[in-house]
Amino acid sequence: MDFSAVSAAASEALTLASFIGIGGGVLLGYIVGVIPGLSRSVAIAIAIPMTFYMSPFIAISFLIGLSKGTAAGSAVSAILLNAPGEASSAATALDGYPMAKQGKPKTALQIGLIASVMGDILATIILIFVAIPFARVALLFGPYEMAAILAFALVFIAGLSGGSIFKGLAAGGLGIFLGTIGLDNQTGLPRLTFGYTELMDGMPLIAVAIGTLALSEMFVQSEKLRYDRENMSVAMKKDSSDRITWPIFRRILPTILRGTGVGTFVGALPGLGPSVGSFMSYGMAQKAAKNPEAFGKGEPKGIAASESADNAVIPAALIPLFGLGIPGNVSAALLIGAFAIHGITVGPLLLRDNPELLYSIFAGMILASVIMLALGWFGLMFFAQITRVPPHVVIPIVIFFCLAGMMLQGYGTFGLIILMAFAALGYLMKKYDYSFVTFLVAFIITPMLELNLRQSIILSRGNWEVLLGRPIAMIFIACTVVALVALIIRTFRKEQPLANAPAD
Amino acid sequence: MKRRSILTAGAALCALLAASAALAEGWKPERPMTMVIGFAAGGSTDIQGRVLARTLEEHFGQPVNVVNQPGGGGAVALTRFLNAAPDGHTFMFGVQLGLTFSPVVTETEYDIDDFRYAGTLVGGQFGLVAAGDAPFQSFDELIAHGQENPMTYAQQLPMDQAIMQQIAAMEGIDLAIVPTGGGGGMAPLLLGGEVDFAFSGGTHAQYTPTGEMNVLAFLTRERSPFYPDVPTLAELGYPYAMDDFRSFFLPGGTPDEIVQAFEEAARFAVGHEPFVEVTVDNTLHPIVFMDAAETEATIREIRAANEALMAN
Repeated sequence: MDFSAVSAAASEALTLASFIGIGGGVLLGYIVGVIPGLSRSVAIAIAIPMTFYMSPFIAISFLIGLSKGTAAGSAVSAILLNAPGEASSAATALDGYPMAKQGKPKTALQIGLIASVMGDILATIILIFVAIPFARVALLFGPYEMAAILAFALVFIAGLSGGSIFKGLAAGGLGIFLGTIGLDNQTGLPRLTFGYTELMDGMPLIAVAIGTLALSEMFVQSEKLRYDRENMSVAMKKDSSDRITWPIFRRILPTILRGTGVGTFVGALPGLGPSVGSFMSYGMAQKAAKNPEAFGKGEPKGIAASESADNAVIPAALIPLFGLGIPGNVSAALLIGAFAIHGITVGPLLLRDNPELLYSIFAGMILASVIMLALGWFGLMFFAQITRVPPHVVIPIVIFFCLAGMMLQGYGTFGLIILMAFAALGYLMKKYDYSFVTFLVAFIITPMLELNLRQSIILSRGNWEVLLGRPIAMIFIACTVVALVALIIRTFRKEQPLANAPAD
Repeated sequence: MKRRSILTAGAALCALLAASAALAEGWKPERPMTMVIGFAAGGSTDIQGRVLARTLEEHFGQPVNVVNQPGGGGAVALTRFLNAAPDGHTFMFGVQLGLTFSPVVTETEYDIDDFRYAGTLVGGQFGLVAAGDAPFQSFDELIAHGQENPMTYAQQLPMDQAIMQQIAAMEGIDLAIVPTGGGGGMAPLLLGGEVDFAFSGGTHAQYTPTGEMNVLAFLTRERSPFYPDVPTLAELGYPYAMDDFRSFFLPGGTPDEIVQAFEEAARFAVGHEPFVEVTVDNTLHPIVFMDAAETEATIREIRAANEALMAN
């Protein structure tokens, strides 16, 4: 490790500007996390335009801080409202809400917070120690390997995100189709731009992301508004015995460590996301417990298992991102866009060419965890109040940010029209249960896949035998085939999907 | 009443003085100005442009707002710019490729005659690069190597692809050409040993100091001030050139005095320390000044060369 770069990174991470940027990100994320219905990827999609005028380091740390904040904040509404702020905190509500009902809301919130922060810090440290050697090896990954991995990621994500293979194919196919719009890489000829110069660089990612993720979600929410107006938040009372104690902490510590391990493993694999991580961790904690029947009735270990895994997924998802430039989930894919806006190509060369930036981001991530602990601990009462903000106040504000974010992109009216079109598309996909995660990931991966595939075909001069000298590519091609076959078998057996991985 | 007439006379005199001063100094902006940049925030054009905006504020005495209109390598911004008022308050810090290259390969709504050109500030440094450990260290050695072995080349634009195809045909090289999608994609291919040599729009500046990359030849018409020993293709006897400059673009129909004012502004900027520093040190581009007439002539010349190249 390059120590001069590390110390330079630490000094950059400890400036006032970065404190404000990262702290602001965590705070914003916390608030977004607390509000049910506002999810992480929605927040990132809306926040990317806000980072235009930040330095690359602050911009990326701000967005990562935002992700971390949402993961911690979502526990608050899961515990107090029984309505998780993120799908990934649904497992937290299983034990958190009963515990709050039993008159221990503050203890439950503190357990959630400590599990979140510990999962977060530990996974960030794992990221730092894995990403650096990984990025060194990753230079061995040429176009053949990249094409194979991208194809695998595409199939894998499609398989995990939805029930029916046909709906998955439809959503993924639409994403692939939209991903091919723009100037051809090699000839420079426009494809499907219909004379619009705005489409030469492809469908604007921000419009597609804000539209299908954020704006459409607001449509869905405002529709729900007509049906449920109930808001039954558990009130916090002054009760000095309602707090986390050393014995409780000692009891949940092994669960937190296990949850962190599960979350890190799940996060590093493309396509699985925090919901899979938190439920998997919850299930494992229950299996390992001496009193499995206590789970679901206010068992502190349940909260700890879910929250530690939920938060550990976020740094872990950056392992394939920083190592290979391949996004593991929608949030990571949006981060690629954010890097690109700041003129940085994410991939194996990032560590070599911009070590200070990468180390600064790592330092910023640790800082974000610490800020998260402080904010969560001292702001507990404040965040608990946010669960009482009614959706009819939240929705218009979010819609405003969606539109303002698009205007900042400089596409003018054209951008707003595209945004609206994708909001309508996203709304319909959510209504009729087509996976918009598959759609978005396919849209984002397609240009990379196309480029690497074309490079491979040209460089091999059409000779298949080249692959024999490329074991990594062969492995991933085999995995892709296996995943495809499994997906087809599953559909025809009409089994339940392995897991539902919503937007994360 | 006498006093008033003196006052009036004084005011008239002031107005007269002001008018003559304005005549002497030429056109002056009356309100905040807008500088359009055809690339996203954070790219080299944007970084240079934002410092340039501060420089122009100093020169013109009016705030300069920067507006990014990314897309199509500047084509989106140029299309929008067709509707800008020709009063000098909206101008573009533009990359010439949008005029010399885009209209050749695709249909655009604008063309060279739709705008006016008021001075060039920054030059490009298109080159052909190889990895530092490649079996050839110069362009001649590359040709010799290529006549014995099949070779691979990473392109970035149809122009450089056309040039390399023609050179390969001329020299009898079996050349496979792959797309890279930009400098960020080129570096891993070249450093990972997947391709033998590549086009570089400026990415090489990061890698040449460590010896990981060598510039074999420049595609520009003149040698780069940063690599005085590297020849241009033309010097090596190949009649091709690819150049790119960054200049002030103004809407068509802009009066001559405004064009002149921007030519002066360009002259001021290329001597202004902060702008020179960010261009040379931060974005590794050479400062190249051309006046309005030379800028327009260069754009037309490069465009004609590109059309001839692509017609083959």
